[in-house]
Amino acid sequence: MKDRRLMLFEVARGTAAILLALLVATIFIFLCSDEPMTALRYLLIGPIIKDSGGFNTMSFYTILAAMIPTIFTGLATCVMFSAGQFNLASEGGAMAGGFVAALCGIYIQMNTGLHAVVCVVIAAIVCGLIMLIPALLKVKLGASEMVTSLMLNYIIMYIVLHFLNYNFADRSKGSTQTYPFAETAQIPALVPGGSKLSWGFVVALVFVVIIALFMYRTRWGYAIRMIGINKSFASYSGMKVGGVIVLSQVIGGLLSGLGGSIEVLGRYTTFLWKELPGYGWTGITIAILAKNNPIFVPFAAFFIAYLNKGCSLMATYSDVPAEMIDIIQAAIFLFFAAEQFLARYRQKIVVRNTQADLAKLETVKGGETQ
Amino acid sequence: MSQLWEMIFQSEFLFSVIRITAPILFAALGAAIAERAGLTNMGLEGMMMISALFGTLTSYWTQSWIIGVLCALLVGLVLSLMVGFFALKLKTDIILAGIAVNMLGSGGTIFLLYMFTGMRGNTGALVSENILIPTVHIPLIQDIPVLGDILSGHSVLTYLAFLFVLLMWVLLYKTPVGLSIRAVGENEHAAESVGIKVRRIQYTALAISGSLAGLGGAFMSMYYSQGWNSGMVAGRGFIALAAQAMGQGEPVGTMLSSLLFGLAQALRTKVSALQGASSYLVSVIPYVATVLGLVIYAAATIRRVKKARRTKHVAAPVEEKE
Repeated sequence: MKDRRLMLFEVARGTAAILLALLVATIFIFLCSDEPMTALRYLLIGPIIKDSGGFNTMSFYTILAAMIPTIFTGLATCVMFSAGQFNLASEGGAMAGGFVAALCGIYIQMNTGLHAVVCVVIAAIVCGLIMLIPALLKVKLGASEMVTSLMLNYIIMYIVLHFLNYNFADRSKGSTQTYPFAETAQIPALVPGGSKLSWGFVVALVFVVIIALFMYRTRWGYAIRMIGINKSFASYSGMKVGGVIVLSQVIGGLLSGLGGSIEVLGRYTTFLWKELPGYGWTGITIAILAKNNPIFVPFAAFFIAYLNKGCSLMATYSDVPAEMIDIIQAAIFLFFAAEQFLARYRQKIVVRNTQADLAKLETVKGGETQ
Repeated sequence: MSQLWEMIFQSEFLFSVIRITAPILFAALGAAIAERAGLTNMGLEGMMMISALFGTLTSYWTQSWIIGVLCALLVGLVLSLMVGFFALKLKTDIILAGIAVNMLGSGGTIFLLYMFTGMRGNTGALVSENILIPTVHIPLIQDIPVLGDILSGHSVLTYLAFLFVLLMWVLLYKTPVGLSIRAVGENEHAAESVGIKVRRIQYTALAISGSLAGLGGAFMSMYYSQGWNSGMVAGRGFIALAAQAMGQGEPVGTMLSSLLFGLAQALRTKVSALQGASSYLVSVIPYVATVLGLVIYAAATIRRVKKARRTKHVAAPVEEKE
C-alpha cells in the first residue's frame, strides 16, 4: 500500500521532470521560431501522426528501428552504473562493434543464419575485451574509469578510422566505406519496406529480459547492485569487489558491441561511420530515465527515439534546428536525476505513511489491552 | 625520423607547445580546483564550448575583445553555478549534471548560434582581426635569441593561463579560502564541524572552475581557431580531467601534465605533416599519452604507498580511490 504510494510519486516525479524538459523546449521554440505551433506539432505528434491525420505505421517502425542500438547501450550503461562505474565508453564500444562485425561480414564466408550470429558474437567479444582496459586499470591501479573510458572513445574512433581508410576502404566508391558485406551476414528485416526495422529489435528485447534476470535473479547481478550501493559494505561481507567491477564493465562492453554490430548489419550494407555514432551518450540518458532498471530501458529508448524523430521532422518542416534534442536531453538529465527534485512531497508521503502505521499500531495495541 | 627531430628542436615547435597547452591548462586548473573541493567538474568540455560561442558573439556585437572574454568568463561561471545548483541543492549526481552541460555544449551551441545569428555550425563570417585576443611581445625577453622566440609573442590569455598556476597555488596554500577548500575536499563533515560553510565553499570552487573553463573557451574561439565552430574543443575538457588526475590537483603538477598533453598535441600536428604518416594514428597520440600518463602515475602512487607501509611497519589500510 505505502510502497504503491511512493511508486506513484516516483512516476509523477518522472513525468514532472519530462514535462519540465518539454516546457524548456517549448520556450526555446517560441523564442527562435517564426512558426512555433507548426514546429511544436511536428515535434510532439509528427512522429506517429500523418499530415492527413492517420496513424503513420512506417514512421512508427523507423522509431522502433532507431531503438535497437540505444537499447543495447542503455542496458550496458545500466549494468555499469549499477555497479557505480562511470564508464562512458559504450560510445566507442558501439563503433568498434560495428566495425568488427562489418569486417567479419566481408571476410568470413558462411551460411545464412549462422553468419550474422558469428559476426555479432565476435564483435561483442572484442568489445568486452576492450572494456577490460578501463576495468583493470580501475581495479589494479585505481585509475579513474571515467577518464580512461573517455580517452578510449577517441582512441577507438581514430584506430577504426585508420583501418577503414588505409586497409579496408573500397576505393571504387566516392565516399570512404568498406566493401559491402556478404548477404549472409545481413540481419533480415522484420517488416517489409524501408523502415530498417530488423530482427535485431527482437534480439534487443530478448536481451532486456536476459539482463533484467541477470541483475535481479542472479548472485552476480546482486553483487553488482550491492557494490554500487555500498562498496565497503559489499567488501566486508565477503564479495570479490574487484572481480565484480571488472565483470560489470566487460558486460557493458559486450552489450555495447552487440548494439553497434547489430545496428551496422541490420541497417547498412557497408561500414561507413566516420565519427562516433552517439549511441553511448544516448544510452546514458536512457539509463537515467530507466533509473538503471533494465525493464524500463525499452520505454526510455522509445521515448528518446520518438523525440529524436520529432526533432528531425521539426528541423525539416519548420525553422527550428534538430539540435533541439540536445537541449531537451540535457534538461531531462538535470531534473530526472535530481534526487531532491520535489523531495518535499516525498517527505510528506513518508510522514503520512508513518503516521498511518503508528495509528494502526495504536489500534492493534488498544484491541489487545481491552 | 630525423626530419621529425629537426622539427621538434625548433623554437617554433616549443612556441606551439605553449600555445596548445594554454586552453588545456585553463580547463585543467578548473578541474583541479573543483576536485580539491571534492567535486568532479565533468562539464568542462561543454562549458568551454558554450563560453567560446558567447565570447565570439559578444565580441562581435560590441567589437571589443575584452568584453568578449569577460562574457565568456561569465558564461562559464553561470554554467558552473547551474551545475552546483543541481548537484548540491537538487542532488543530481555531479557527473551527470556535467554530462548534461556537455550535451548543451555539443548540440545546444549549434542551436543557440542559429537562434542568434541564423548561422549553422561556425561563426567564420563574423570574425575580424580587431575582435581577436591580441598577442603581446614582452620587451626584454623577446630579444633573447631562442628563448625570446618561444616565450614572447603569445596572446594575453596564454600568459594569464600560466599566471593562474601561481595564483591557484597561492589561493590553495596561502589563503583561508584555500584552506577551507582543501578541508572540504578532504572531509566535508569534518570541515563542517569546525564551522566552515561547506556549501558556500563548494559553490566558490565550482565558480572558479567554471570561470577558468570560460577563459579556456574564449582562448579557443577568440585566438586559437579564430572563430567558433562545432568541433572546436575536441575533447580538451576531458583531457583536462585527465591532466588534473595526473597532477593530483596540485597547481604545478597540473601544469606539468597539461604541458605533456600540449606536447603530445603539438607532436600530432608535426607528425601528420610528415609524408606517409597516417593522420588518424597520429591523432591518437594525445589520448594514448593521457591513458599512459594516468597508468604511470597510478602505478607510481601504489609503489610509493607500499614502500611507505613497509618502512613504517604499519599495515595502514589504503583507502580505495573513487
